[in-house]
Amino acid sequence: MSMATEQPTQSLPQGVYLEKDIDAGELTVNIGPQHPSTHGVLRLITTIDGEVVRDIEPVIGYLHRSKEKMAESRSLFQYQPTIDRVEYLSAFFDHYVFVTSLEQIAGLKVPKRMQYVRMITMELNRIASHLLWFGTFLLDLGATSPMFYAFRDREKIFSLFEQLTGARMMYNYYRFGGANADMPEGWLEGALDFCDDFEQRIDEYEAIVTKNPIFLDRTVGVGVVDAETLIAHGVTGPTLRGSGVALDQRKDNPYCCYDEVTFDVPVGQNGDCYDRYLVRMAEMRESLKIIRQAVRQIPGGDTADLMRRRAEGDEAANDIELQIAGQKINLLTYKAPPGEVMTTVESPRGFLGCYLITDGTPKAYRCKWRGASFSNLTVLPLLMKGRLFPDLMAIFGSIDVILPEVDR
Amino acid sequence: MVFNDLKDNKVTSGMVEIGRGLKTVSQHMLRPPVTLEYPEVMPDLSKRFHGRLTLLTKSDGSDLCIGCKACARVCPCVDLIQIEMHRDSAKKPVIDRFTIDMGRCIYCGNCTEVCPVDCIKMLNDFELADYSRQALVLDKAGLSLSGEESDRYRQTHGLEAQV
Repeated sequence: MSMATEQPTQSLPQGVYLEKDIDAGELTVNIGPQHPSTHGVLRLITTIDGEVVRDIEPVIGYLHRSKEKMAESRSLFQYQPTIDRVEYLSAFFDHYVFVTSLEQIAGLKVPKRMQYVRMITMELNRIASHLLWFGTFLLDLGATSPMFYAFRDREKIFSLFEQLTGARMMYNYYRFGGANADMPEGWLEGALDFCDDFEQRIDEYEAIVTKNPIFLDRTVGVGVVDAETLIAHGVTGPTLRGSGVALDQRKDNPYCCYDEVTFDVPVGQNGDCYDRYLVRMAEMRESLKIIRQAVRQIPGGDTADLMRRRAEGDEAANDIELQIAGQKINLLTYKAPPGEVMTTVESPRGFLGCYLITDGTPKAYRCKWRGASFSNLTVLPLLMKGRLFPDLMAIFGSIDVILPEVDR
Repeated sequence: MVFNDLKDNKVTSGMVEIGRGLKTVSQHMLRPPVTLEYPEVMPDLSKRFHGRLTLLTKSDGSDLCIGCKACARVCPCVDLIQIEMHRDSAKKPVIDRFTIDMGRCIYCGNCTEVCPVDCIKMLNDFELADYSRQALVLDKAGLSLSGEESDRYRQTHGLEAQV
């Protein structure tokens, strides 16, 4: 008896491995979790038959940080900085939805000026998020220059955010009933400068990409999906709007001050990757429109003006609508009254929701996050069935999934 | 807004569009660079920047911290800031130990916001890389600024003077 037979056969750890039976035609290929095109740690178990994808199964959970459970062991203010990490490309939206949930429970009123600041920052953040999508989407399709251009313009937004909040990606800026601090002097002017500059930049992007024949070949008619399927899967945001459904929380259920500005909701026609691209590019232009109007309409105007008026003893400049917070609360001892509320906002990827239950203690009883990316990812296997393997990155890129939001 | 179909002749429109793209890309060669030569040229950071934590002191260099532990209570990293203090015979607070593990800090700025005496603040210093984790655990001596530096900080950030 040899030694080898005595040892029990050790089974391999769980997972999917390359199957030996190559003659059967189907092959299982593991894409990710460490793969540059999966934009994070997503694992795709792909069954391919030659170049044709037969089946695809996303495996998630590699970036799970138990954000929901953390809310139950930390006070509300203590939990707040960690929300930035729910979706780090558009952290202002996470903060907004959490802070608004609590404001609704506690009945805190937000001054108009701060609502405008929130609107401007969120729209700038939407542009930043779409820019990253633009760069990486085209990088996946083989175009390198757009990524450098997108990062260049994203950097301008980040330096604006850095002046405002002190951080470039993890802002921790909104507070219950207002914000951390007022804008620095001249910040609005900087935002307007960015708008003027970006208007030309986005024309450049479109000149390079929108009608490029290689790009058209890769995206037109690829990943076509109808609106009914998307709605059945709970897909929202630009992915749904690309299929012709004008569903936008900013229009349908105006939060912040979105009912005081005019903007369009761009929708696509065919529901393919190209339309989703066009919708996002058009959305960036709409965001610029919103920022311009908001800067014009913001109560109190620039901080320098406001400070000067206060120094001159103008009573109107001390109005409650121009303050940083409507009601000062002690962040150390704050206890929210019992209540539960669900808030959703239109994040760059769709509906971002927070379901918050408080029970009168400093901590939240339950905090449930509804991430848009999680629902959007469920449609990927459907879109990929029967498609060619090279279409995977075009389709996956066009639905714009960000993994921290999937796993939370 | 609805987008039009693209029904142009594919070959001619394709060549025109590639030409347009190349023209746009080549224009960038004539523009000034947007990147910074980082170690030589430092980025211009704002006063609100979330950098390394520091403890300000009074103008004479004595402790400003009163050991109230408010910063430790709002820290999302739970036990990141550790403070031990006692009161001397005149009931004045004396800080025995004040450590912050900068390796675990997430730079949210919560602690700076709740400090009742504006003692714990953030600097523009972001170059914190080190070879050991232990070197990132800063004690009171490593965190504190001298009296002059604290005065300068308070001046540039519009804080009240502490004597």
